Amino acid sequence: MKIQVKTMLILLTAFLTIILLFSGFVYLSVSNYSYEDFYKLLEIRAVTAAKVELDQDEGAAQAGIKDLRNEFFEKLPQEQDRFFRISPGESFAEEAKTIGIPVSFFNNVLSDGKAEFSKNGMFYKAIRYKSKQGEYVVVASAQNYFELHHSAYLRRTLVFAIIAAFLFSALIALYFAKFVFRPLRKITDSVKEISSENLHLRLDQTKSNDELAELTRTFNNMLDRIETSFETQNNFVSNASHELRTPLTAIIGEADVTLSKVRKTEEYIETITVILDEAEKLDRKTKALLFLAQTGFNGKSQKFDKVRIDQLLWDVKETIEKINPRSNIHIDMSLLPENPSKLKVKGNEQLLHLALSNIISNACKYSDYKVVHVSIGASDQNVFVIIKDQGIGIPDSELKYIYDPFFRASNTLKYEGYGIGLPLTRNIIRLHQGEIIVSSIMQQGTTVQINLPVGQYEL
Amino acid sequence: MEKTVLVPTDFSIASLNIVKSYLNEQDRNTRINIVLLHGMHQSDSITNLLFFSKSKVLESLTNPAFEEALRVLKNKYASQVRIMRKDIFTGFTQAAFNQFAEANRIDEVCLPILYNPQFKNRNSFDLLPFIKASKLNIITIGSAIEVPMPEKGNVAELFTNRVSMG
Repeated sequence: MKIQVKTMLILLTAFLTIILLFSGFVYLSVSNYSYEDFYKLLEIRAVTAAKVELDQDEGAAQAGIKDLRNEFFEKLPQEQDRFFRISPGESFAEEAKTIGIPVSFFNNVLSDGKAEFSKNGMFYKAIRYKSKQGEYVVVASAQNYFELHHSAYLRRTLVFAIIAAFLFSALIALYFAKFVFRPLRKITDSVKEISSENLHLRLDQTKSNDELAELTRTFNNMLDRIETSFETQNNFVSNASHELRTPLTAIIGEADVTLSKVRKTEEYIETITVILDEAEKLDRKTKALLFLAQTGFNGKSQKFDKVRIDQLLWDVKETIEKINPRSNIHIDMSLLPENPSKLKVKGNEQLLHLALSNIISNACKYSDYKVVHVSIGASDQNVFVIIKDQGIGIPDSELKYIYDPFFRASNTLKYEGYGIGLPLTRNIIRLHQGEIIVSSIMQQGTTVQINLPVGQYEL
Repeated sequence: MEKTVLVPTDFSIASLNIVKSYLNEQDRNTRINIVLLHGMHQSDSITNLLFFSKSKVLESLTNPAFEEALRVLKNKYASQVRIMRKDIFTGFTQAAFNQFAEANRIDEVCLPILYNPQFKNRNSFDLLPFIKASKLNIITIGSAIEVPMPEKGNVAELFTNRVSMG
């Protein structure tokens, strides 16, 4: 059963129980009240009747009561007043039999002074009355008008009200269930649309901070990770095959040419030297690729730990200068925070190393090895790494494509590259919940700003 | 020693660069209070006056990048800067400005050589005439040379060495 239906049923049951309890209470209390009221009415009738019939000789007052009675007392259906004289030692068994009521009724009157009884809609009220002629039991009886009409009407009204309330609450429950589960259904629908072909799609994020927004965020984070590893895999394969083929072609070509005829020993030595060189290059590249694969997204080696960004930057600088001694990197610590714990980021050192060295070596490459300024600073939430070069810049119209794999800006033709570094870097930064902002002016330079959230480590 | 410096601001990161280079030149042992002051005419309708809240006005003027950059500066000069706060000046007269300076115990004003503030709010006004006419000590920093800057508006702007406003 769907949760939506379940919720609806639970709501409906709750509504219905409340309504039933409520109307049952109303019905019972109203009818109870009406019975009591009717018995009171009968009692008054009995007293009046007794006064009129039994106290014969009081003259004017007597006549007044009689007039009042005739004038204002509405005749009740089947109203009847009966008088029985009480003589000691005599029981009312015979009288009871003629009226059709139990003897205990009379016994109650004798002992308590009052008794009530009802049978088939007929109500009996008896009182003890002391008149001048002696003591009497006065029994007033009538059919209950309420029982006949009002209570049926009340029942009908209540049943209609219950049906109406039930329908109404069913509507509310339906709407409520739909309303509550609409965002969930939306999420399901949009997740269904995302497959390996369009991994770049994300769920719409709302600004609210409820559980569903959290779910959406978690989903999007997961998609980020999936997309990153997907892209890395794809890039890796194409990158690797290309990188490996270049030296192989050289080796094959060299060997082919040399073998076409018999050569002198010096020539053989030269050829083999070239082949050795290329083979060594191949070896280096294989090693580098292996390293990339190891640090990559295989889920096992991707451990997040605390990384000090300033140290990392020095490492990156060293690495790049080792790879390319022409690069000119100036690390600017002028805005380094006094509190070093603000520089600690929760992240994977190898990945961040890869990302930063990508950006910085790009800056070196595309500025023809002019000086590259790398600055570092930290606010309370973010660590900022700013890489500023005086290179060729990125054309404005192409700035939005720089994160597409294999995209290379139109002014980069004379530089070697595959268009893989920046998407990879962006993915790594995203993986660390960071942000990368690239701004550029053609022929003037490019500034890359990387924000990484501070890890909130104690000193 | 302790002193208070007033820096006019248009809530751009460029104006924080002024603070940065000012702090660079200060003696390490001086404790410094910084007042980032923004001139803004206040609407004189009764309801606006009734519901006037300085923090809300400041909130509407700043942007996240400015706040982040401000915090970068605070972290850098954590031991040197005692207080760095934003304030708005709503007065119309020179006397009001002088009074403000006196009340806040302003010792000096720091201005860039290139001063061309860009105001986003139409009620904002330039504080320069007031500053010039007051008897406050003015320190001028920066250079008159424009440097191209792609990172305008980002936190990255704080890390460049250009000091000018506008």
